[in-house]
Amino acid sequence: MNEFRDLARVALTGLAARKARTLLLLLGPMIGVAAIIAAVGLTDSAKGDLKAKVADLGTNLVEASAASSFGGEDPTLPEDAVKRTLTVRTVEKVAAVRQLANVVVTPYTEALEQFDTVPIPVVAADSTLPDVLEVELVSGRWIDRFDEETGARSAVIGQSLAREFSYLPGENRTIELGGLAYTVVGVLSRVELEPGFDTAVFIPFRTAGDDFLNEDGIIAPNKLYARTAEGAERETADALVVAVNLGGPDEVSTEIKSEALELAAESDRQLQLIVVSMGLLAIIVGGLGIANVMSISVIQRSAEIGIRRALGHTRRIIAMQFLLEAIVVGIIGGIMGVLLGVLAILVGVWLAGWVFVLAAWLVPAGVLLAITISVVAGLFPATRAARLEPLETLRLG
Amino acid sequence: MTPFMELTDVSRCYGSGDTTVWALRSVSLRIIPGDFVSIVGPSGSGKSTLLGLLGCLDVPTSGTILVEGEDVTAVADATRTRVRGRSIGFVFQQFHLIPHLDALGNVGTALLYRGLRPAEVKEKSMAALARVGLAHRHDHRSVQLSGGEQQRVAIARALVTEPRILLADEPTGALDSNNAAMVMDILSGLRDESRAVVVVTHDLDIANSAARKISMRDGQVVNDEVLVP
Repeated sequence: MNEFRDLARVALTGLAARKARTLLLLLGPMIGVAAIIAAVGLTDSAKGDLKAKVADLGTNLVEASAASSFGGEDPTLPEDAVKRTLTVRTVEKVAAVRQLANVVVTPYTEALEQFDTVPIPVVAADSTLPDVLEVELVSGRWIDRFDEETGARSAVIGQSLAREFSYLPGENRTIELGGLAYTVVGVLSRVELEPGFDTAVFIPFRTAGDDFLNEDGIIAPNKLYARTAEGAERETADALVVAVNLGGPDEVSTEIKSEALELAAESDRQLQLIVVSMGLLAIIVGGLGIANVMSISVIQRSAEIGIRRALGHTRRIIAMQFLLEAIVVGIIGGIMGVLLGVLAILVGVWLAGWVFVLAAWLVPAGVLLAITISVVAGLFPATRAARLEPLETLRLG
Repeated sequence: MTPFMELTDVSRCYGSGDTTVWALRSVSLRIIPGDFVSIVGPSGSGKSTLLGLLGCLDVPTSGTILVEGEDVTAVADATRTRVRGRSIGFVFQQFHLIPHLDALGNVGTALLYRGLRPAEVKEKSMAALARVGLAHRHDHRSVQLSGGEQQRVAIARALVTEPRILLADEPTGALDSNNAAMVMDILSGLRDESRAVVVVTHDLDIANSAARKISMRDGQVVNDEVLVP
């Protein structure tokens, strides 16, 4: 411990005494680490907003929709599709919807002429839908169990539709669905994975059955949204096809909702590889620079080494002293490199309007890389210093 | 009484075969406590080689060297380095101060890696500088010191470890006569029963100011006389 303290003092005073040389030594690892950090950080940050979105939405949402196999115009899933879906063990929660065709929506009866050109989707939805989609309501409430059981004419509207209809939060108001007045009970916020919901009207299944479908009892859905266990989305999607169909005539197609988004958020790996390679090259050249400058330094300081050896410092101590100088250069150069790299990312993000993304492990990894390079580069001059014979460097007699 | 250093039949040659040069042939001598020895001889007489061996900086081709009774003839470099650090202090013609350190730092360098706290190192170094009359110049670097002052710092550095043998190689060679006299005064004042001072020189005046004079020629001791009993 005492020995290390003495070594550290000698190494630090040695570096501090030769500021220009030390600065020269720092440049290599500093520029190399900065280049690597900036390369990875900038390419990641370029897709930063998409990455944040993927992280926010989760990657475990699977959609199962009815696909028409016999050319039917309005294909549906089996009536008990939700129950069947829940038999798949990796499914955590599920909600069903049924898109209704040909329902004319207007803010109020008199406005029919003004709004008839806008097709507004009407969707029968489960009370569990916001929970499964992990989306909040802007105001009011979602369709509840009471609405579902009584077939109440309650409606929730999407955020864009509310804006279009000049609906004020909490306003007591009705909208017309196929000429029938529905009470607006809430406004749903934007659903990133289902942009169409932004302009849609949601009503309870039972109400939809009573008012718009000539179906008795349970209304068959045409789409399911299922949250799966983390990482099980692919196998769940496959299992759903079997579970929902159960050998029946219906056709089911499944889709992992986040897949396209994830693909879009993927960083440009090739560009990253090129710039990181250049950073590695810079750091290796920097390492050669350290080896070179330190070797020259060993020659210049041969008298100092000789006198230290004469004073009783062992070869090991001399080698450690030079190696420690290299390590200190690596630590300081690495930290400065990380700071410089982060600064470069911040400037880039600020100029391009990206979202700052930097994998946290890159910070210690960058410093560690600089230290490793410096130690490897310092080994040769350190060994050389240790091998110097004091008798030869001191020129006696 | 154990001599501080005992050389028995020590030879040292360089090269091999036809090009072998015998720098030292069968030298035997003892350095005893209280000695103030000068080793004198023309260049090529082997005094530098002898100095290297006395300073445990070199190993003999044959013969044995004991330092305070410990055989250093055939030991590992690390052991010889430890003996050197413990028993021997060096003063060189060119002073060999470390340029980026101040006087205090140069003296303190001799005390590194001995398990001492920085405060102890500083205290002992200041005391050593005071002994050569340079306590007030402790924060000056070598470029800010005169040659005589630099050599006195070097003497303080050699003394600070309390060595048994102080080896001085042409200590006045780079100094004017005033400073040379001052340095020799300090060196002769250092001999006491716990220490021996050995000065290697080609200057006969310096050699004759010692208590014992060893004359060398062609790698051999030709005369070993006591000048002052």
